[in-house]
Order: sequence, then structure tokens, then C-alpha cells
Amino acid sequence: MEFDLDYLMRQMPALRAGILLTIQVSAIAVVLSIGIGLIGASIRVMRVPVLDRIVAFYVEFIRNTPLLVQLFFVFFGLPTIGLTLSLFWSGVLALTLWAGAFQTENVRGGLSAVSPGLREAARALGLSQIQYLRLIGLPLAVRIGLPAMLNTCVSLVKNSAYVSAIGLQDLAGVAFDRIASDFRAFEMLAVLLVGYLALVLSLSAAVRLLEHRLQAPFRS
Amino acid sequence: MSYGLALIAENAQLLLIGLRATLLLALVTLIASTILGVLFGTLATVKSRAVRTLVACYVETFRDIPLIVTIFAIFFGAPYAGVPLEPFPAVALGLSLWGGANGAEIVRGGILSVPKGQREAAAALGLYPWKIYLLILWPQALRAVLPAYTGLLALIIQSTSLGALVGVTEFLKAGGLIIERSTVMQGINPAFQIYIFVLLVYFAICSVLTALSRRLEKKLARSAGRVAGAVRAPDAASI
Repeated sequence: MEFDLDYLMRQMPALRAGILLTIQVSAIAVVLSIGIGLIGASIRVMRVPVLDRIVAFYVEFIRNTPLLVQLFFVFFGLPTIGLTLSLFWSGVLALTLWAGAFQTENVRGGLSAVSPGLREAARALGLSQIQYLRLIGLPLAVRIGLPAMLNTCVSLVKNSAYVSAIGLQDLAGVAFDRIASDFRAFEMLAVLLVGYLALVLSLSAAVRLLEHRLQAPFRS
Repeated sequence: MSYGLALIAENAQLLLIGLRATLLLALVTLIASTILGVLFGTLATVKSRAVRTLVACYVETFRDIPLIVTIFAIFFGAPYAGVPLEPFPAVALGLSLWGGANGAEIVRGGILSVPKGQREAAAALGLYPWKIYLLILWPQALRAVLPAYTGLLALIIQSTSLGALVGVTEFLKAGGLIIERSTVMQGINPAFQIYIFVLLVYFAICSVLTALSRRLEKKLARSAGRVAGAVRAPDAASI
């Protein structure tokens, strides 16, 4: 079988929709998971009783279980106890919970790298713990932890391909469907190879550029 | 929940078959990844820029493409290439190429973490390059990569769950079969309980390995300065 460019062109609209869905799912999960990261890391650093333990367990649990099983749990398991989400939101929720655990660790790493003197100074000035975090701790922590946070985001975009396993028509989902129905494996595998490499490499390049920019004030 | 526990006890045999397939898949992948990892990780530290670039291409490709895509590509693409593969070997091959790329990164880091003077001293003593690797660099790198390698094994075990998607009856698939069977025969869908159980088993296995990885890392940090520092352990979001 040879490479059929015409066939590929005919599939472009579907593939474009797939890429858009990949970007959509990833973008929502990126934003929500960073939210989890900021809150989770704050809870850990403030040593909020009970919640602190829960966040620690959540992070360990996510890191030590497969994303695919987490996804199946959300999509197949939750509806049986009455929590039914659409296909789209099941995918988003699983990816968010997964990335949220890594973002919690990333932000926590940033927070613990902020000089303890700043926290003491904030306290001496009468700032509450939450004010310290909001005004001083988290902005600095995000700056310090940004490379790790962005790497997690890139990884999230890459791993969003997992949502095809529950039937979402993202880039991988569309391509797998076409392979199964039209038997055009070469064309679709080429699309996947090029598509994901382009997506991940361009994002990584953007991350490196941003890191370089952010480091500018600290370079002599 | 009690229904779930009874169901698990009833299907213990199927779950054990699944668990065995998961561990076997992980073992095969670990061995193949190690061979690829040592080979490519070592080649990534040689002088020739062309060789290093080729290795970087391999490593980047398999690290940047979603693993689920790699495995589907091999499973569905193999027949078109004239070599149809059974699910198990197809998944093992996909996991190994991916694991080899990540193993190579670890091995490369380990070799580079050996103080430069070691390689120079060995060269000054007139050792052949292969002897420098065999006697000087690899043994010292081994200590440095052990924590990261233990972490990689945990990730390999997690990734074997992808086998369920192409028809390997590993642990996740065994859980899925129990759910299907119970839904059809008893009219009760136990997906919540079964998937919690599956998650907990993966958690038990992988958290032991992660804890071991952290301990090895700490132990190595204590002897810092005297030996090569530990290579950073990978996690699911970094590979």
C-alpha cells in the first residue's frame, strides 16, 4: 500500500477537529490543574490539619497509579455511584486530577525554595498566612517553579491522547478511528507522528524561550 | 462495597492471571529497556556528534509521542509492514522502545555524573575506550542511576496497563472483564469498586518502588562528594 495524499487531504477537516479537541481538553485541564497545584501546595505548606494529609495522599496516589486506570475510574466507575459526567468532562476531570498532583509538587517545591526570612518578615508586618501566600509566597514560588510547572503542562498535552481510550475524538481518537474503519494505517500514523511531535516540540521550545526570558534579570 | 469484596474474592483467579501478565510484561520491558537504555545512553556520551544526534533523535521521538500512540502504531501498523504481531509482543515492543528512550536518558545522566577526572585518568593510563566504560564509568554510573531506575520500573508497571487497550489480559483488563461479566450476568455494575481495587493494587506495588527509589537517593546523597551524585528519578509527568 502506498501513501495516499488525496485520502489524507479528505480527512483534514476531521483531523483539524481532532487537534482542536486535543487543545481544548488540554487547555482546560492545564488551567484547572494549576489551580489545584496552587491550592494544594498552600495547604501543604501551611500545614492545615487533616487537609494536609489528604493532599499528601492524593499526590502520592495519583503519582503511583496509571493515568489510564484513573481515566477508566472517572468514566466507568463514577457513573455507577451516580456521578455521571459527559465524555468530554470525564476526560478533562481525569487529566486535571492527574496533572494537579504534579503541579502541587511543583508549586510546593517553589514555595519551599522561597527564603523563610520573607515569611517571617510578612508575619512581623502583621500579614496573615493567606496574605503571605497570596502576595509574596505564591508569586515567588510560581516564578521559581515555573520550568517544572510548564514541563508538566507539556506532558499534559502529550498525555491528553489517553482520552481517546474512552472514545473522545481528539487527534489520536480520530486517527485511530480512521485506521480501524478505512485501513489507512500509514497516512494516519504519519499524521500522529508529525502532529504530536510538532505539538510537543513547539511547546517545549516555547517553554525554553520563556524560561530564558524570565531568567534575564538574574543574568549578569 | 461488601458486594465488591465478594466479587473480588470470587474472581481472585482471573485477577491473579491479570497480575501475572502485568508483571511479566513489566519484566520483559525492563530487560529490553535496560539493553536499549545502556546502549543508547552510552552512545549519547561518545565524542562523535553525529552519533549523539542520532541517539537524541531516538530518545526525543519516543519521549515526545504519547505512549498510547506508539503502542497503537505498532499494533495496528505491524500488519501493514508485513509482520502482524500478537498483542503481548506488540505492547512489549512499544513499551520497550519508550522505556529504552527514558532508560537512555538515565544512563546518560549517570555516566555524565561520574567526575570528569575519572575518565581522564583512565585515558592517561592508556585504557582502551571500551575498557574505560566497562571498568571505570559503568560501575560508578550504576550507583548513580539506581534510584532513577527504580522509579522508571514503577512507571513501566503503570504503563503496562495500556496493554488492556489492544487485548492483553493484564491486570486492568482482568478488572474490566469482571465488570462486564457481573453487569451481564447479575445486572449489577461494579465498576466503581473494581476500579478502586485495581487502583489500590497498582498503588501498593508502585508506592513501594517509589519509596525504595527515594531511600536509595537519600543514601546516595549522604555519600555525596565521594561518589557520583544520583540521577534525578523520573515521574509520569517528566517522561
